[in-house]
Amino acid sequence: MISYALRRLGAGIVLALLVTLITFFLLSGSLESVARERLGSAATPESLKALMTQLGFDRPAIVQYMDWLGSVLTGDFGTSLFTSQPVAPAVAARLGVTLSLVVTALIITVLVSVALGVWAATRGGLADKVSQGLSLIGYVVPGLLIAIVLVAVFAVNLKLLPATGFTPFAQNPGKWAASITIPVIVLVIGGVASMAAQIRGTMIGELRKDYVRTLRTRGVPTRSIVLRHALRNAASPALTVLSLEFIQMLGGALIIENVFALPGFGAYAFNASLQGDIPIIMGITLFSVMLVVTVNLITDVVNGWLNPKARIY
Amino acid sequence: MFPVLSRTTSLTRAAVAAVAVAALLSTAACSSSAPASEPTNSSRNEELSIAVQAQPASLDPAQLAEGQQSYIWASIFDTLLMVDKDNKIRPNAAESWKYSDDLRTLTLKLRSDLKFSSGDAVTSKDVAATLERTRTTPGQQQPKLAKVSSISAPDASTVVIQLSAPEPSLLNYLAQATGVIGDADTLASDTTKLRPTGSGPYVLSDKTVDGTEYVMERRDDYWNASAYPFKTVKVKVIQDRTAQYNALQAGEVKAALIQAPQRKQAEGAGFAVKEVQATAALVLVLADRKGELVPALANVKVRQAINMAFDRAQVVKALLNGLGKPTVQVFDPNSGAYDPGLEDAYSFDPAKARKLLAEAGYADGFSMTMPSTVISQSFEPVITQALSDIGVKVTWEPVPPQNTASSIASKKYPAVLWFYGLNSAGRQVGDMYAPEAFLNPFKWQDPEFDKLLQSIATEPDDTARDALYKKVNEYTVKQALNAPIAYVGTLWATAPGIDFLPTGVVLPTVRDFGVSGK
Repeated sequence: MISYALRRLGAGIVLALLVTLITFFLLSGSLESVARERLGSAATPESLKALMTQLGFDRPAIVQYMDWLGSVLTGDFGTSLFTSQPVAPAVAARLGVTLSLVVTALIITVLVSVALGVWAATRGGLADKVSQGLSLIGYVVPGLLIAIVLVAVFAVNLKLLPATGFTPFAQNPGKWAASITIPVIVLVIGGVASMAAQIRGTMIGELRKDYVRTLRTRGVPTRSIVLRHALRNAASPALTVLSLEFIQMLGGALIIENVFALPGFGAYAFNASLQGDIPIIMGITLFSVMLVVTVNLITDVVNGWLNPKARIY
Repeated sequence: MFPVLSRTTSLTRAAVAAVAVAALLSTAACSSSAPASEPTNSSRNEELSIAVQAQPASLDPAQLAEGQQSYIWASIFDTLLMVDKDNKIRPNAAESWKYSDDLRTLTLKLRSDLKFSSGDAVTSKDVAATLERTRTTPGQQQPKLAKVSSISAPDASTVVIQLSAPEPSLLNYLAQATGVIGDADTLASDTTKLRPTGSGPYVLSDKTVDGTEYVMERRDDYWNASAYPFKTVKVKVIQDRTAQYNALQAGEVKAALIQAPQRKQAEGAGFAVKEVQATAALVLVLADRKGELVPALANVKVRQAINMAFDRAQVVKALLNGLGKPTVQVFDPNSGAYDPGLEDAYSFDPAKARKLLAEAGYADGFSMTMPSTVISQSFEPVITQALSDIGVKVTWEPVPPQNTASSIASKKYPAVLWFYGLNSAGRQVGDMYAPEAFLNPFKWQDPEFDKLLQSIATEPDDTARDALYKKVNEYTVKQALNAPIAYVGTLWATAPGIDFLPTGVVLPTVRDFGVSGK
């Protein structure tokens, strides 16, 4: 299991190197535009040239990349060209906001989806229809629309929740919860739509299998059959959906963060790419790749634990 | 500039408005030097929170940028001079200034009671060091000091700036980002980018979260602290305009720019909404006046024809939601360079435009390629249609957002649709028409125009200089150097108790806001 995890980690590092290299080469085409953006409309050719030299943009792209990589290995991710903040702490702070949003949303998504999926699969009939109906609504109603309505009702009119901004958990847990409530609800609705249907489907499949019938004939209580046996077997494919859901939520957070002015990863990445803030884009790319690799690794390890057959790869 | 009141104004709101007007007048009076009437102690403990769309790139004096970022840096740093609401240069940290007869030596005298946030005295050495660093460091302010040959500090309160040639905009520059005063000892240190030693009325508090929320506390040891009614100023960075409006409605900020369709709703919700009719000009920059890419543009008749192609009133109504004003000129309507008599120069007349094109030898029209940028996208169908109606075929070439400014400088496009933020006439000439101007990438020059610019540089009298700028404006309109379309306005909404004050286009600072009393 450990060697399997290490191999996956090694592949992740190679992936990170490749992705950052490609990103850097794609960005290196607009170095002059970035310098000009920093200098504003009044830039003279002389000041442009001086800034290009100062930022090291006049060197071959491969040299610049190796330089960046060398600095990263020593823990220096550079400084933003447009906010003057060091990249690592800036990205880490933003990532903290997004992760607290996405992880909370993911936990609630799992709880709601499991409850809804299991309920629909075991009860059938009306319960199944209600569960499928809710999933369908989650699919078709755009998250942005839900966000706008919730803000108008709970933040602007009732003033129960903040309309914008983020309070860190460590600073004030109550305010933290209030600041992420609406964004989390929006993410959960989308997440539950896909996960509940997945759990419902696999649970129905499991409950029809022979081993369940055997367990029933032995007099094992239904609750135990559903939660200890069928759900454990159904969890494996659901976990894969969950890891994809996590990555999808990171993308969804971009829109949500803009709507609620949350200083998160998505909004930061979006702004950095608009400006061509190369150190930030590189930092975000690296962190994103590592995040995706880590999530996939955790999924694989948990999957392996749940289902020993998965470990043979 | 009185507060805009809705038709359903109640007596209470009328009373609040009356107080607001009174406060507005008193604060307007104070803007020239010192406050005419001190706000009461309770109102001086107020907090102001403003929503802005972008954070400052850096608080290093050599890297400052103007625009909304200046709410932050102009609170932290003092400037040598200031521009008042009538666009006149006034003393600030420098209590007086004097030009030599040849306009090549500027001597500034500093006030004696200036202090940094560290408690140290501000001396002429700090001023000279800041200016010298700005002059020699690539940044947005560097080109403005291009004509400065040396800066010296002969005594603790005197700064002497030597110029290689007269610079008519220098005083204006010294009233804005170029004229900030940094601490000579810490200028080059890394902390200056985010936590500089300030010379201004406010100091960044520990509660500041860089890039998200800038919290500034008033310095009571600042020489002009009484002119700043707010004890705390919070500048919140909210990129999304809808989120800004939500924050305003939810009481999370007290002042924010709103969009035209939100006006009625904001007024109905009890916010004071004030319109600044012209903060920028929407201009079709006819960059290739020398005809290098499109020979037709070298002909004045062609440029005039393009000016007649646009139904400007319709553009303002339909695309700017009525927030703006049709115009054929680019100079700030509040400046001495503006000439209302020029507005009739090019009325909407496609038939006459086609005739002019035929006279110029382009009866069958011509084609040109323009960059499709974040600025131009919503206007493209209208521009394409208007120009094709007179026979000019436009092809739009997509340009990534970070290449918007480069699209002009690249000399790849004969014309570019641009929003130009209005400024003093001298700065506008420097940005738009001077040979090295950003909006003159093909370096168009004309002997008659050069002579006019030369006469401005050597004219010491303000009124006479305004008259010359008027001539410059007339020349640019008659020669159709560009095709201006409209002045673009902004709407500020403020919560009860907060007033938005400015009347003209000056540097955005917290001085734009006052307390109206609750």
